[in-house]
Amino acid sequence: MIAVLSQYLDSVRENLRLDLVSEREVIDELQTHIEDEFQEMREAGLSEEEAANACIKLLGSAKLVARRIYEAHSQGTWKQALLASMPHLLFALLFVLNWWQGIGWLAVILVLVLGTAIYGWWHGKPVWLFPWLGYSLLPVVMAVLPLLYLPKVWSWVAVLVYLPLALWLVLTVTVQVIKRDWLYSALMLLPIPIIIGWLLSVDKEGKFLEFSLEHIRYLAPWIGLSFSTLALTVAAFIRLRQRWLRVILLLISGFLVLTMVAFYAEGSLGLPAFLVLALVIVGCLLIPALMERRIRGGKQQPRAEDAT
Amino acid sequence: MAQRLELMKGSSESLLLCLISQQPMYGYQIIKELEKKSQGYFKFKEGTLYPALHRLEKAGLIEGKWQMLPSGRQRRYYYLTDKGYRLLAVKRSQWQDFLIAMNLIIQPASA
Repeated sequence: MIAVLSQYLDSVRENLRLDLVSEREVIDELQTHIEDEFQEMREAGLSEEEAANACIKLLGSAKLVARRIYEAHSQGTWKQALLASMPHLLFALLFVLNWWQGIGWLAVILVLVLGTAIYGWWHGKPVWLFPWLGYSLLPVVMAVLPLLYLPKVWSWVAVLVYLPLALWLVLTVTVQVIKRDWLYSALMLLPIPIIIGWLLSVDKEGKFLEFSLEHIRYLAPWIGLSFSTLALTVAAFIRLRQRWLRVILLLISGFLVLTMVAFYAEGSLGLPAFLVLALVIVGCLLIPALMERRIRGGKQQPRAEDAT
Repeated sequence: MAQRLELMKGSSESLLLCLISQQPMYGYQIIKELEKKSQGYFKFKEGTLYPALHRLEKAGLIEGKWQMLPSGRQRRYYYLTDKGYRLLAVKRSQWQDFLIAMNLIIQPASA
């Protein structure tokens, strides 16, 4: 296939943001279409260049074609919506039913979350995977907290060794998800500012990491409510087709849930913390989008050189 | 031309289902058949054909299957599903009713 047509298909592929199997099917189908059309135009007497340009003109903008195909595929089923919202619902149940105090329930949920995330990761990264993935990374980051309770010198050593490793793992997974679609990465990171908000709200008289169990018990229904709202957000996200609607949904829901945290925390979460967390929500959307642009920019550069 | 496109927008689903019901077809063939059968009246914009086909497939109205050609190339043929046949029957009946009603107003003598 001549370069300009390959570049056209590459451009469609870059903007499709589908799972690998669907992406391959779409590109193969478009390729056979282009080959048929190109051949017919060549038989009609057009030069290679004329025929290739005519094929591209008839198909229209690669970005537009990719966006339309994305919208045809993007709407998940209700089953996928339910599956994607499950980790948030489990987290909500953890607090509403007071399971968070039972080590058994915590272990069951941890195994379920990790198992589902690993299964989804090795089975084509389906749309329902990403919220599970976010929660599976949570224990990796949260494991740093018990390290802070070690004797002082050991605590510093453990944190200095563990934290970079944990952050490296989180970053690697996030970059992999961004390569698929930055929106899924935003979906994965969405609970982070909410969890930090609750952590800051339940600390004991302003002392970070000294939690009052009684205060957690008091806030538990509202913690459950906030994660149920996230579950609804995820279900709606999976059912929506348009990307811009998905972005707006994540932003509105993020701010709404953060406001709920601030309201039910009854002053435990101050205005500066609220504003910083609001910025974190914007960052959860903006940073993956910018990273995707950078990753794609890096990928496209050699191709442009090849073509010249 | 713009009016024709508007008319087609609302009926593209029916047109695709009807064509595929006559024989399994692949994308490029659909464009050519539509143009030939409508004597050049309908020209499907190529960039909109595949999203439309994939929407119909996701809705379970058609099913795409890869077929190997003697040349070794593969083509994706679309087949109408049972659900697709049922919807097509409904669409045909709606279209008949619409045509009769339109004729009653636009060409009262012939109606």
